[in-house]
Amino acid sequence: MRNSLTSLPDEVLQLILQYLDPHGCLALERTARRFTSVANEQAVWRYYCKTLFHYWDRKHDVENKMKQPPSSIDWKAIFVQRHRVDSKTTKVLNNILSSQCGRIQKVQSIMDLGYDVKDTLTRHAHARNDQDDHLARSNTIMDCLNRNMAVSEWAKLREEGETVSLERALGCFDLFVSQGHIESLEEVSNMLNAVAEDLSNRNPDIESLSPRQRASHIASFLRLNNFTGIAPGREYHSLEHNFLGFALKDQEHNSLPLISASIFCYIARHFGLNAHPCGFPFHVLVIIFPSPGLDMDGFSLNGDNVGVPMYMDPFRSGEETCVADLQSQLNLLGASPTEQSTFLGESQTSEIVLRCGRNVMNSVRVILGSEFSKVDIESAGYAGLWSFMLVNPYGRLMEIRRHLPWFMDVFASEFPWDIYLVEKHVLPLFEGLLELRHLMESLHAIRAADETPRSVRRRKDVQKTIEYQVGEIFRHRRYNYTAMIIGWDPECGAGEHWMRRMNVDQLQAGRHQSFYHVHVEDKSVRYVAEENIEVIKPTLSQLPGSLLAIAGKHFKRWDEEER
Amino acid sequence: MSGEEMITLKSSDDVSFTVERSVAERSILIKHLLEDLGTSTEPIPIPNVNEPVLNKVIEWSIHHKNDPPSTDDNDSENNRRRTTDIDEWDQKFMQVDQEMLFEIILAANYLDIKPLLDVGCKTVANMIKGKSPEEIRKTFNIQNDFTPEEEDQIRRENEWAEDR
Repeated sequence: MRNSLTSLPDEVLQLILQYLDPHGCLALERTARRFTSVANEQAVWRYYCKTLFHYWDRKHDVENKMKQPPSSIDWKAIFVQRHRVDSKTTKVLNNILSSQCGRIQKVQSIMDLGYDVKDTLTRHAHARNDQDDHLARSNTIMDCLNRNMAVSEWAKLREEGETVSLERALGCFDLFVSQGHIESLEEVSNMLNAVAEDLSNRNPDIESLSPRQRASHIASFLRLNNFTGIAPGREYHSLEHNFLGFALKDQEHNSLPLISASIFCYIARHFGLNAHPCGFPFHVLVIIFPSPGLDMDGFSLNGDNVGVPMYMDPFRSGEETCVADLQSQLNLLGASPTEQSTFLGESQTSEIVLRCGRNVMNSVRVILGSEFSKVDIESAGYAGLWSFMLVNPYGRLMEIRRHLPWFMDVFASEFPWDIYLVEKHVLPLFEGLLELRHLMESLHAIRAADETPRSVRRRKDVQKTIEYQVGEIFRHRRYNYTAMIIGWDPECGAGEHWMRRMNVDQLQAGRHQSFYHVHVEDKSVRYVAEENIEVIKPTLSQLPGSLLAIAGKHFKRWDEEER
Repeated sequence: MSGEEMITLKSSDDVSFTVERSVAERSILIKHLLEDLGTSTEPIPIPNVNEPVLNKVIEWSIHHKNDPPSTDDNDSENNRRRTTDIDEWDQKFMQVDQEMLFEIILAANYLDIKPLLDVGCKTVANMIKGKSPEEIRKTFNIQNDFTPEEEDQIRRENEWAEDR
């Protein structure tokens, strides 16, 4: 008998289908009856799901499904669902690119599709630089999606009965900073697991040590491999020292005590120690409780005796911290006995998150305007503000209220696409409070502005000449900063009060010259008189990175010829 | 290695081939057989494979006898998408008529030579890729045995895929 494609056994056809793509598979299915069953084989579609999609919304419960026998799950249906999400996301993305109107709604419709969209966004974000969607919104929307994850995670901390692990809760700060040094919260756990595995490989006997020895051993290992502490000579308050994901991923692994302690706790728990961060003032320590009925040296205790916990300071040392030293420090600080027991007790995850948020804000304040930071300062500050809004263990309403104006300012000017997050998570906090009306008005205004079509003003309608064009890069003649023109007025339109305060009439050409709205490299927006503008023509690579990122918000592409 | 043990294989049409043991052991089937038999001087019958096909399979096995053992054997679990890249020698090797191509695939499947089976399947996949159902039928000489109603039904079931 002559051999042909139809005479191959199903197992071989399945292998061929795996080398094909879903489209090839469907095309083959349509050729003849022979292929009907094999083209609908769940194992094949499971393979497509597994290899073509990397990010899965939790609703699919994919990890669990992957463990089941393939035939028990309708993988083809899952694939179809994912395919639909992908094409819808692509459509909305294109739509966002082609029209400025109603973007909030569109972004939200992408967010509503869930975490699945990350595959599509990743693909579009990797589009080549010279393509129209280079500056595409996909990156901005991806950041939005990451914040969505982070905010939902923190929101769980508020809810009774929901547990969020410390490393996930701290990883949320990483999700806010857009450089994307981590992709997901799972990545944080994976990196920590890798450290634990390394430790276990190099110290196979670790499990046989007593709890006390194990704790020192782990702390020494982490210090030896630079996973804890800050290298000498580095600025303690550097922003990146606050980010668990960054600290794990960065080769130098520098981190503040809070992060060092959290890394230690994860590894210690991996090796069976009941370790928690301890809320000591100014410096997060670790408290380790012995197992019930045992002391830290692994000996049985008599009767109802409770073992004494031990303290560690993984940031500073591999040795146990003496509790008497801690108590004397607290006495020096004048802490009452009640306060002392709080300071020496274990901290809840929410307290640590809030503390991390404060540290972040503190770093932001310290470094603001000084040096270059490896972590985007604005996004970091925004993360800090969100943590204040959401993660308040004792319902410290005053703190939330105090930060609201600042929060709203940053949100409205830099992250308006997060409006649905604000409506969902922040608005309810102010139910019945004075701020509610004002908050609702602001949110309404943001939505309204987004839905109003922008009218394009044409120059020919204006009598006066406007020398420079939107998109041009210039250096300020007096202040020497680099900026990009994003809008213009034929004459100063900033209102009498502003003009007086800024001494506009002192300018050579006064208030009746053209004025420009500009985006400065430090990310501020300013209003500049024409006489102060000196246009420069940098190449794309000479352009400050911050301006390039800003440009993505306003323009679709960079034109080397017409620059 | 000059002192290597030689193995004789006998095709379905009674043609004998004598090869180094490491060549024969590219086939997991034969490898296990030899392990069970210990040292054997008897020719090993390969009932399902005729002379021209066995000749091709041995040619492939000689060329690939020093390949490192594949790590992901039989593992459809690996997360990475499989590439259909085929190295140059294998591409030339697979430039045969369709009859022979399918014979090689069937022989590789029977003899359990995973890397050869993979090369064969990749070759077929590349012949299907990007084609319409009608073009696939032409390429492989497949009879369309669907009724128009059935055809219509499948098309409707797969409509989701058109929505790119």
